[in-house]
Amino acid sequence: MASVEVEHVVKYYDTADAVSLMGTFTRPPALDDVTIRLEDGETVSLVGASGCGKSTLLKVVAGLETPDRGRVLFDAMDVTAMAPQDRGVGMVFQDYALYPSMRGKGNLAYYFQVHQRSEAEAEQRTRKVAEIMGVGFELLMGRVPTTLSGGEQQRVAIGRCIVRDPSLFLMDEPICNLDAKLRESTRLELKKLLRNFAITSLYVTHDQQEAVFMGDRIAVMRGGRIEQLGTFDELYYTPANLYVARFIGAPPIAVMPATIEDRRVSIGAASWSLPDLLADELPPGPLQIGVRPEGWHLNAADGAVLPVRHIERIPTERSSFLFTTLGGENIVIAAPLDYPQTEQIHVSPDWERVYVFAADSEETVRAPGVLELF
Amino acid sequence: MSAIVASNLVKRFGEKLAVADTSFAVGDGEFLVLVGPSGCGKTTTLRLLAGLEAVTSGDIAFGERIVTNLRPRDRDVAMVFQDYAIFPHLTVFENIAYGLRSRHTPRQEIAPRVNQAARTFRIDHLLGRKPRQLSGGERQRVALSRAMVRDAAVYLYDEPLSNLDAQLRYQAREDVLALHRAKRRPSIYVTHDQSEAMALGDRIAVMRDGTIQQIGTGDDLYSRPRNRFVAFFIGTPSINLFEVEVRAGDGEVILQNPAFSLNLPSSLHQAVANHIGKRVTFGIRPEDLHVPRMAPFEVTPENTLHGVVNVIEPTAVGSTVYLSTQEDEPRDFVATFKQRVPVSYLGKEIPLAIDAAKAQLFDPDTERSLREWD
Repeated sequence: MASVEVEHVVKYYDTADAVSLMGTFTRPPALDDVTIRLEDGETVSLVGASGCGKSTLLKVVAGLETPDRGRVLFDAMDVTAMAPQDRGVGMVFQDYALYPSMRGKGNLAYYFQVHQRSEAEAEQRTRKVAEIMGVGFELLMGRVPTTLSGGEQQRVAIGRCIVRDPSLFLMDEPICNLDAKLRESTRLELKKLLRNFAITSLYVTHDQQEAVFMGDRIAVMRGGRIEQLGTFDELYYTPANLYVARFIGAPPIAVMPATIEDRRVSIGAASWSLPDLLADELPPGPLQIGVRPEGWHLNAADGAVLPVRHIERIPTERSSFLFTTLGGENIVIAAPLDYPQTEQIHVSPDWERVYVFAADSEETVRAPGVLELF
Repeated sequence: MSAIVASNLVKRFGEKLAVADTSFAVGDGEFLVLVGPSGCGKTTTLRLLAGLEAVTSGDIAFGERIVTNLRPRDRDVAMVFQDYAIFPHLTVFENIAYGLRSRHTPRQEIAPRVNQAARTFRIDHLLGRKPRQLSGGERQRVALSRAMVRDAAVYLYDEPLSNLDAQLRYQAREDVLALHRAKRRPSIYVTHDQSEAMALGDRIAVMRDGTIQQIGTGDDLYSRPRNRFVAFFIGTPSINLFEVEVRAGDGEVILQNPAFSLNLPSSLHQAVANHIGKRVTFGIRPEDLHVPRMAPFEVTPENTLHGVVNVIEPTAVGSTVYLSTQEDEPRDFVATFKQRVPVSYLGKEIPLAIDAAKAQLFDPDTERSLREWD
């Protein structure tokens, strides 16, 4: 177990001959001054669109890539120059990491052969992991990896890593190849194992829901930078900027151009008197108003009359989604599953829940913060 | 008039039975969604209809025409693929026009139709570009435009949105519906995304091992599943399933399990009348487990299930809580709440009240639902 610090790491993928004579790089860095700290026993999810640098950051921590600048520390010890195999890091990737000639149990015990631990020790740890992963895992023992299905292979890979008692566990889309139902059960198993053994881990995924499930905290990345690191509530209710606000939450937040004048706000043809709290705080002029699907009042007395293009009813989510347009933006409004069929609605933003962004940048001007429920 | 009628479809790949004697009909203008785990035969079924695979036996009719042995191009099918099937060397305009040219549409008709379709899907400013200059979402709209300019007898979709970022899918669903509403032809849509299936389908067919398990509305499948497989497959997180013993006496019927003994409401007595003294499978949706003091029914020790909290997943509207029972062989189960459950409950044991009226009951051998649905 370890705490991990990544300090001001910069990583370029340009090779030497791609560097111009002026000594500058032709492409932006894959990691652009990344600093992050993982507490001992904590799981942090790295999430972002493809090319955001999340896998590169994982590889730098693993030692599979060397940073051009910056340091990596495990328990305050500088490991930047240390070889991957000396870092005590467990890794599981999307495309599995098995030793195909060995049987399932052999795979787990392999580490102990290499690291010269006793047979009994190997046996005991292997058994414990098998137990936590359920009866199905015991059935896997003694079967040759190539005969295993994708899901079983990945469970073996994960089990093998955890048996090694890694100081740090790194996972890059480890379950994205699995069928939805198997993903649901495997991620729960994985989360229980990480908590049970208090393993410090980094979890790379492009799926925001998985990031939220797996991570004690979540780092949203873009263009080689961490846009924000925090709990789901922090990202959702106090996004650092418009990018994070849009990235977290589905259906996505609606962001509309707006103007404030005389303690009123106008969005497109609609106009509302602002509650004092907002009117005092927000400067007159243009800005952008963001409202999440659940952040609207339907049938509001001062509501704007909006045409409903269509209504999606999703019984599995006990919700309907109303599709409409305001301020030139397509917006989605959440409603109860049995919300009546209608051609138009009277809506106004729930002002306690609105997000405000600068008119011409991604800067957050105001975020609602976590709502107090009790 | 063109409806799709598939009769006793069978498709073998060597030893493997991919589609096993499947029959269904899609009404004129109806949108049917096929869902199921990977390998269930949904994509093969679609490819049989398109003529991309030859049937082993069975018949396919589009309206009055038997198309079973026709070549794909003679079936008059428009198909939208997951990878968009766009020609990289052709411009967006030529990609959209391709199907019209290959069917010898009069030259003067082509440009207006392409332009109109491109406007519908907001890519009219991109007609001169090559596909590599487009984003994933724009490519997907090229594929929809190409289907839009056709006037095909049936429309088939093979996971057309699965390569899109989550944030783009809500808009893309609306685009698929725009295409369908413009054409009003029988359509079949394959997806692994349940929300997408619920949002788009007039009806949804759940497939497993090459056969259709149930066809119905989203609410039919979720609230009135015909068997255990459908109940488990539809809904995320999945329904909680427990093996229970049925006991009767003094006009009461009890479902007995190490973790609870649930008094069934009299409306459900008939369902288990033939299973007194035997085992049945009891299913309860995560939303039908309640915080005891907030439960909308009488809470007793008997209808209360205790579990230790393993994971608390925050959602936009509340929390999903993953628990284990405290038996010798702990069982995992899930509950969803409209309130935010504080992280401080992690590792603690909490009681949850079971809404017995919402019970799903299955024969443990045949897996058929014991409840009678109207």
